[in-house]
Amino acid sequence: MLAFDDVSLRFRGGAGVERLAFRVDPGEVVALIGLNGAGKTTLMRLALGMLRPREGTVRLFGGPLTTMPPASWARVGALIEVPLAYPELTVRENLRIASLLRGADPRTVVQGSLEAWRLEPLAERRFRRLSLGNRQRTGLAAALQHDPAFIVLDEPSNALDPASVILLRDQLTRRARDGAAVLVSSHHLDEVARIADRVLLMNAGRLIGELDTSGTDVERAFFERIRDDDEHRAERGEVPL
Amino acid sequence: MNAAVRVEAMKLVRSPVGTIGTLALVLGTLALLGGITAALAAGNRELTAKAGVAATLDWAGLLASAAQVTAAGGLLGFGVVLAWIVGREFTDGTITGLFALPVSRSRIALAKLTVYAAWAVAVSVTLALGILLLGLLIGYGPPLPEVWAALGRQAVLGMLTAAVAAPVAWIATLTRSLLAAVGAAIALVVIAQVGVLAGAGGWMPLAAPALWVISDGAAVTPLQLALTLALAAAFAALTCASWARLQLNR
Repeated sequence: MLAFDDVSLRFRGGAGVERLAFRVDPGEVVALIGLNGAGKTTLMRLALGMLRPREGTVRLFGGPLTTMPPASWARVGALIEVPLAYPELTVRENLRIASLLRGADPRTVVQGSLEAWRLEPLAERRFRRLSLGNRQRTGLAAALQHDPAFIVLDEPSNALDPASVILLRDQLTRRARDGAAVLVSSHHLDEVARIADRVLLMNAGRLIGELDTSGTDVERAFFERIRDDDEHRAERGEVPL
Repeated sequence: MNAAVRVEAMKLVRSPVGTIGTLALVLGTLALLGGITAALAAGNRELTAKAGVAATLDWAGLLASAAQVTAAGGLLGFGVVLAWIVGREFTDGTITGLFALPVSRSRIALAKLTVYAAWAVAVSVTLALGILLLGLLIGYGPPLPEVWAALGRQAVLGMLTAAVAAPVAWIATLTRSLLAAVGAAIALVVIAQVGVLAGAGGWMPLAAPALWVISDGAAVTPLQLALTLALAAAFAALTCASWARLQLNR
């Protein structure tokens, strides 16, 4: 579904990502974890065409992103940083415009989406009057209501209450079971361990392998891997990205 | 494309910016014209001297005042609303949500400009009708054919003034800043005013529409007016191209 072939991008000022290579297949949930500034959001932006790589190729649905017809984006659902929702519109209206822009029929998807994310009591409330957690739920509903085959969510459990975290988990596992490919980034290691089929570790702009989440102390395993990577780089005399 | 236009129209209609912009351009202009008329009727010498051709208490005076207010205040009003239509996506951060959609970003930019143009036409026609109503209320009597023609030119002036603000959309995209775009709208007003004072005349696209109306259509040729539209079209095309090539790299 998604494949990165040695993708690199360097920003002015030095930060960036280097030789990213991985794939996400239909039916699997792949989680991306790393410290702040490791490059997780940059990787996701590259996957969604928000950034163009300096080197390497991003492939989606079997072909390079650069030649993908715009209509194919209707099969993608994404939430990166800020939900596509406008403060002056109600929750229902925001879901309507999200479905219109993704080529879906609002009459068939919006009501179901409000119910699935338990947003019905808030449906007529303006987005600007929602709490942070309810905004996030609206954003997730807007990103997923058109049944995308490829899902990219950056820190989706941010600001969610425990009940909403369970909703999110159920949504992602169900959609993966139905054949969607899911890429999520997260800081919550135990949450990731619960839903992800594979966990990719990212440090200082590079993917440094997968994390085994079957052990009892995932957090400790995570920090050891990051520390080892930092030490290896220091030994090789590399300047961190 | 159709979906993007519907979405953009909904955003403008429901936003306080759209409402306040419309009220300021229509009711604000009419209130100002009413105030100017009252001051002239009361014999305010300073204003009479400043108003020049607009100092007479008849249809011609009212329409000359309207043209001056529209060319300066109207340009600022249209410019600020256009700055918001484009710049808000960057300021609100919603631009990330406008990637990875089956509607291309150049289509979204075009939809924004289309909705802006439709809104500007509606505002301009409403304002011209409001001026007609104001003149009738003041008691200037039924309009003669040349007054109807001048009212028509006033409506066209509103639309051309909105077109003159087009560079604001491009500046908002380049700077990714709502405030910078509002600054650009103010700069356009200043450039247009300085252009008029410097005597640039009809070849100055920013000032040509106002000169055309104030001279009752005599001082500006159709070619010169077409240049104003060409400028607007060029900046609209630049804006769409910039949206198509946009990257979230800063």
